[in-house]
Amino acid sequence: MASVESPVTPPPPGWARRLPRDERLFLWAVAASVLFMSVFVVAWLAFGGQNVPTTTDRVAPAAFQQQVQSFIAEYRGDDGRVHVPPGEDAYMIAARYAFYPELVLKAGEPYQIWISSVDALHGFSIVGGGQNINLEIAPEHAYGATFTPDRPGVYLVVCNEYCGLGHHTMKGRIVVER
Amino acid sequence: MAYAEPIPQSFAGLREEPSRTCAVTGLRVYAGAQALTVANAVAAVLSLAVGGLFGLSLGLTRAPGLELLGPDAYYAALTGHGVSALILWPIFFEVAAMVFASSVLLNAQVFSMRLGWSAFGLMTAGAVLLEGAILSGEASVTFTAYPPLVATPWFYVGYLVFAVGALLAIVNFALSIVAARASRATSGSLPLLTYGVAVAAILALISIVSGLVALVPALAYSQGWIGAVEPIVYRGWFWGLGHTLQYVNVVAMVVAWYGIAALALRAGPVNQKFTRIGFILYLVFTVPVLGHHFLVDPSLSTEVKLVGGTMFGFALGVPSLMHGLAVIGGVEAQLRRLGPATLFGWLRRIDWGNPGVAALTCSLLLFALGGWSGTAQTTLPLNMVSHNTMWIPAHLHGVVVGGTTLAFMGFSYFLVPLLVRRALWSTRLATIQAYLYGAGLFWMIMAMSWAGTLGVPRRTAEIGYGGEAPGGWDLPMNLVGAGAGIAGLAGFLFILNIVLTLLRGERTDDPERLAPSGAA
Repeated sequence: MASVESPVTPPPPGWARRLPRDERLFLWAVAASVLFMSVFVVAWLAFGGQNVPTTTDRVAPAAFQQQVQSFIAEYRGDDGRVHVPPGEDAYMIAARYAFYPELVLKAGEPYQIWISSVDALHGFSIVGGGQNINLEIAPEHAYGATFTPDRPGVYLVVCNEYCGLGHHTMKGRIVVER
Repeated sequence: MAYAEPIPQSFAGLREEPSRTCAVTGLRVYAGAQALTVANAVAAVLSLAVGGLFGLSLGLTRAPGLELLGPDAYYAALTGHGVSALILWPIFFEVAAMVFASSVLLNAQVFSMRLGWSAFGLMTAGAVLLEGAILSGEASVTFTAYPPLVATPWFYVGYLVFAVGALLAIVNFALSIVAARASRATSGSLPLLTYGVAVAAILALISIVSGLVALVPALAYSQGWIGAVEPIVYRGWFWGLGHTLQYVNVVAMVVAWYGIAALALRAGPVNQKFTRIGFILYLVFTVPVLGHHFLVDPSLSTEVKLVGGTMFGFALGVPSLMHGLAVIGGVEAQLRRLGPATLFGWLRRIDWGNPGVAALTCSLLLFALGGWSGTAQTTLPLNMVSHNTMWIPAHLHGVVVGGTTLAFMGFSYFLVPLLVRRALWSTRLATIQAYLYGAGLFWMIMAMSWAGTLGVPRRTAEIGYGGEAPGGWDLPMNLVGAGAGIAGLAGFLFILNIVLTLLRGERTDDPERLAPSGAA
């Protein structure tokens, strides 16, 4: 182990001298790239338009449940689904083990959908449709996400945060009509 | 090994234990330090065996073509895998490293053997309680145990007892360093490996304290002593444990990298200061990066997420980049000392059949892969796409299994023979094991990433959703199962080789047999 520098013996005297030029240059280059990526990610969020815009609010589970019940009562159709008129806020509850109600949206129209949980942590995950959207859903907090569905179809919503022994059965649907 | 019996003592200055001089490193090895290190390493390997078995069963369940376990057994195994492979195995190994780095590397005894064995006893008791609770099926809450999910109290008690044991081990580590300096067994700055382990120990301390803040109320809630624990608040404190612990693992992995490079290739760091700055940066950036677990949580503002998750997340990649290059640079510098070589000619001086070289190479590559995918997902926009899909286990298996576990395996191939003075049972098997494990993991990680891109949820027993699941989920998940099978086989070969080394390895003091050189 008699190499010049050994990791198992105390460092030789003078080890704390100034870093050589190439190592300093490397560190500055790395710091610059961290800065560049930091700026880029903010710009991408602001101008890239990749993500659905979200807002959040605090809400007690009981109050949220009440809000959702009156929403369902108002817009429930004969097919059991809730037909949300464009411009209206939509609501969805995550509860073990389902997302409800099933929403029917019009393609091309922006909707603000509020989601909250009445029991455990859940994951709201819209799968398929070429782009996943994943949000962490917690009791006491409501997530408001603005979606503009562009393609008609039936989209599956699954829970992707483990919430109990029936977790793999937890699903919901969003139907997009022309 | 004339002195296998540990000698109880309460203070290092009280009695001078028997010691020997290591044939390879020239370091002084005291009997107590040796016994305590080996005990923790053995507990670590047993935990890995259990965690690996659980992990293999998960992989074979997630493959739709197999579905080995039913949902209830799957969630129990999922809990067992997280607890055994992500908590018990690395922490036992890190305590072994702490004992080793604060005694053997400092030519000193362990400060207090009684404290050391108490810590080991508590950690073992905690581990047994945890495994028992999980196997009883009363603790299928996954290792994160988010309330209002509740487990049997033994599960929380197991966590807490294990944590107290680990705290005692950290205290003993710090006091051993102080005692070694006071007794002038060592002087000047700490050796690099001890320095790195000290950084890991500080992070472990932060991690454990945060874990206590999360788990004590969770236990109280599970027993009905308090009415509620807000899940999102618990989640924050829990990841103060879970996230910080992953950086304990990363720092310990880097220590193992330098250790393997030193033992297999006689290589040291290119620049001690550069390397130590790297370790300090882990201390600075680890805690704020906690935010990257909450990038799509409803409880934090976008500004906090961008700074705490994303920007510090980029910065936290810097020390890993520094160490990865510094380890390779140290190896290059050492191999160039053997004679002039062209730009990449020094690579030809490496014996790729050496187990240390195999493990170090695969660990560096897989950690880079997992680190890259982690950095990508730490950006707010991409996290909304990848959160809690199979992208997340793809990332964490790259860094924790490919990086940390494989580095610990490679380090064990040298540490264990040196400590018990027995040659590795099979050096060739060790080399094959490291490459096979690396290949199996690479396969599994790529398949997991593919599945994640398609939106397959993680931690989910079945993904059929009554026939409603999008097409194309089955193939990548079947490939995940195949990769897990290969990695599981290679994991078994590691355990086999270490156990046979402990029991039947040939007794020797020949440096070339104890720490075979990886320089051709």
